Amino acid sequence: MSLFWSVIRQLAEIEAMATSKKVITRDEWEKKLNDVKIRKEDMNKLVMNFLVTEGYVDAAEKFRMESGTEPDIDLATITDRMAVKKAVQSGNVEDAIEKVNDLNPEILDTNPQLFFHLQQQRLIELIRNGKVKEALEFAQEELAPRGEENQSFLEELERTVALLAFEDVKNSPVSDLLDISQRLKTASEVNAAILTSQSHEKDPKLPNLLRMLLWAQNQLDEKAAYPRITDLFTATLEDPAI
Amino acid sequence: MPGSASTTHRPEGLIDRLRSAAADGGEAKFKVLRELKNQIIGNRTKKLSYIKLGAVPSVVSILSSASSSVDCLLIQCAATIGSFACGVDAGVKAVLDAGAFPHLINLLSHSNEKVVDAGARALKMIYQSPSAPKYDFTQPKNIEFLTSLLDKTNENVTGLGATIITHSCQTPTEQTLLSNAGVLKKLIHLLHATSPQRDASLESFATIIKQNPHVITNHVGPQNGSTFRTLLDLTKDRYPRTRLLACVCLTLIKNATSSAYVESVGMRTKLILVLLELVEDGGQVGDEALFTLSRFIEDDEGLQKLAFEANTVDKLCQQMVKESLQGKRLEGLFTALGSICSNLESCRSIVLQSPKALTVITEGLTHTTTEVRIAACICLKNVSRSVKYLSAGHFMTEAVIMPVIQLLYDASTSVQVAALCTVSNLVVDFRTHKSLFVQSGGVKQLVELSKSMESSVRLNAVWALRNLMFLIDNRCKEEIFMDIKLFPLTRLISDSNACVQEQALGLVCNLVNGPGPMDSMMYLFTEDGILLNTVGRELRKASRTQVLVQAMYVMCNVASGKELEKEAVMRQLVNEEDAQSIIVSLLQSEVASLRTAVVWTVVNLTVPTGAGALARVVKLRNAGVVSQLKNMVNDPCLDVKLRVRTALGQTMTFGDFST
Repeated sequence: MSLFWSVIRQLAEIEAMATSKKVITRDEWEKKLNDVKIRKEDMNKLVMNFLVTEGYVDAAEKFRMESGTEPDIDLATITDRMAVKKAVQSGNVEDAIEKVNDLNPEILDTNPQLFFHLQQQRLIELIRNGKVKEALEFAQEELAPRGEENQSFLEELERTVALLAFEDVKNSPVSDLLDISQRLKTASEVNAAILTSQSHEKDPKLPNLLRMLLWAQNQLDEKAAYPRITDLFTATLEDPAI
Repeated sequence: MPGSASTTHRPEGLIDRLRSAAADGGEAKFKVLRELKNQIIGNRTKKLSYIKLGAVPSVVSILSSASSSVDCLLIQCAATIGSFACGVDAGVKAVLDAGAFPHLINLLSHSNEKVVDAGARALKMIYQSPSAPKYDFTQPKNIEFLTSLLDKTNENVTGLGATIITHSCQTPTEQTLLSNAGVLKKLIHLLHATSPQRDASLESFATIIKQNPHVITNHVGPQNGSTFRTLLDLTKDRYPRTRLLACVCLTLIKNATSSAYVESVGMRTKLILVLLELVEDGGQVGDEALFTLSRFIEDDEGLQKLAFEANTVDKLCQQMVKESLQGKRLEGLFTALGSICSNLESCRSIVLQSPKALTVITEGLTHTTTEVRIAACICLKNVSRSVKYLSAGHFMTEAVIMPVIQLLYDASTSVQVAALCTVSNLVVDFRTHKSLFVQSGGVKQLVELSKSMESSVRLNAVWALRNLMFLIDNRCKEEIFMDIKLFPLTRLISDSNACVQEQALGLVCNLVNGPGPMDSMMYLFTEDGILLNTVGRELRKASRTQVLVQAMYVMCNVASGKELEKEAVMRQLVNEEDAQSIIVSLLQSEVASLRTAVVWTVVNLTVPTGAGALARVVKLRNAGVVSQLKNMVNDPCLDVKLRVRTALGQTMTFGDFST
């Protein structure tokens, strides 16, 4: 009997806690925010990191001159990397492969999966351009040996060659391969591999920080009402709902 | 354009153009080299076919004749050579045979950093292959060159230096040479650089300190606290491979010395937890983490306890029941599980209570890869050390025994040895379940293997037979003895390998020991007592203590028999032509266990009942045995002391003739 009552009391306490959340007013919140000192240089580094990773070479160059922030990578390599990315995005895969090899021959020699995906993209482009004979030859000579080395490559290869089997590819189960998103996928894979080879992170830090901000706000929502940021573009503080 | 693709991409066409370009020179060289390079990068098949067509010497000849001012040509040559050497052993051989090595080394001192990059990359590829020649560290100028590489800022060049060390440093002398030359310090310095440099440096750091307590004490000891902190920090690195390599270095330090740093429990637990987290990585890092964990905890019960408390066994069992695991992963899991179960019963219970773990292990016994079969076998052996489950007949099921017996027929000697060790363990307590093993042809194959030319196979086969012979009934003894046969057994007793002798004598001991000794004693007396004679000969001849102990226990067992047996033992041990009886000389041994065995035999021989009792005592007294015993009434070994008194008491029954 007593156990039952103690459980009920605990539940009541939890409910009380949930309803009486702590309220933090805009003034208090802004005061707290002002107490946090973030160095300008650190902010600039974050921006530079974003520009470099995403490949905005002109913006990075301008930002360097304006803010005096040194990029952690040779800006010339960004131009090369962007050229590779662009080549894949516009379907010139052979050109992209040659450019990667000029940049660093180790990348494709030590990354079989990436190499396969680029060759697969080459095959897709041949099929897209209606070069059936060439496509078959290419699949047989270049891709089939990779399939023998790796089971999952073989499955992907079979799926790609299936493109040739459909009259109306757009309505086939493999239509996604011809989609522009497939090019973008391959392009971002190459981009990431080049960045890794330059001992640079694949992803910029800024989006991660935003994700952390959202997570922290969600945690805090359970405990308090406070001016939160909902619109990340403007980063305006909204008055707490009481 | 589309039509031409198939002809130019064909190796034969390109090789012709390459040959003529190499001969004529000019602009064509660059173009054809770049084309070749783009053909072979990432493409193993093409590499092999171009190597076969003899492309490598042509490329090297272009490199050797190129002027050092044509940077772009040098880069294409180096990149192409590097790609031939990447991941293809035949390529490494072709590149070295064509004499590329000195030309590539020359590129390292080029003024253009891109040329240096290309040269260093190509050399690195060569040294990443096991078929590359060993770098000679004993030449002072070679060490000088190596340290100059590590001092550069170019990450490909420092990476090359680290790769050379990882590839070529194998002996303790080489480790000492390198550490005395300050290489460890330079590598530690590189740990603060970019991530590929870090990984390469950690790997070669591990190579230099591996199993070398001397190098560790002198160069990584507590006085170098900063090294330690750097390594510790790297166990929290962003990249899994870096975390793994830092753990490898720390475990190597721990396993070689009792450094105060790694002694703290918190630190050891932390290492185990980092490694366990890395196991979650599905790739190579996860596999290597398993082996590192296993090496870390083997031979150290304290660490095994810590690993147990960190839920290691549960995590390994969870990993093990996952679908379609690769060979390397299975091998790692079995090895780690085997290590942690080698001492602790609590770990074995978890494995044996896990619904599928034992099934996965026994399935591993028939895996296509040799290493996996060995690892599964050793794992099963350690798990089956559980007396509780062993005596409950937990392992004597067809699912377990059949694949183990099958492994006794394996083509690989290492698998056979592992399987024999497992059998040895499984058959110790066997009384109620032995029929399955015998019926499945296990004994016949053990006997077959006891005749192997390979002494490790022979040894473990005899060992297994010895354990099989332990405490079984006479009918079974007879069956097994019929398989072993008399003469082969005598040959094993006088084997060239003392360890085999020891196990063979142990086998004879078990044969004549146990329930109903009278019946089994006869084996020693058939064929004019050849078996007993052989044992007696070894007693006079052998030098290894354990052989003598086992041989003496055979005598001791026989001496517990009736008059006939006692007299036979007397004939073996007391020979009037000997200057000194072997009983006396063996009683003077410094090894207590041997003295114990001898005194027990004397006790059995001097039992005061039986027609020949008095005669035996007289003979022993004349041989000087009684006076030797009198010197031993205060033997430091309690067991010896007590039995000496028993023996003396028995000789006195017939009166003291010592006056």
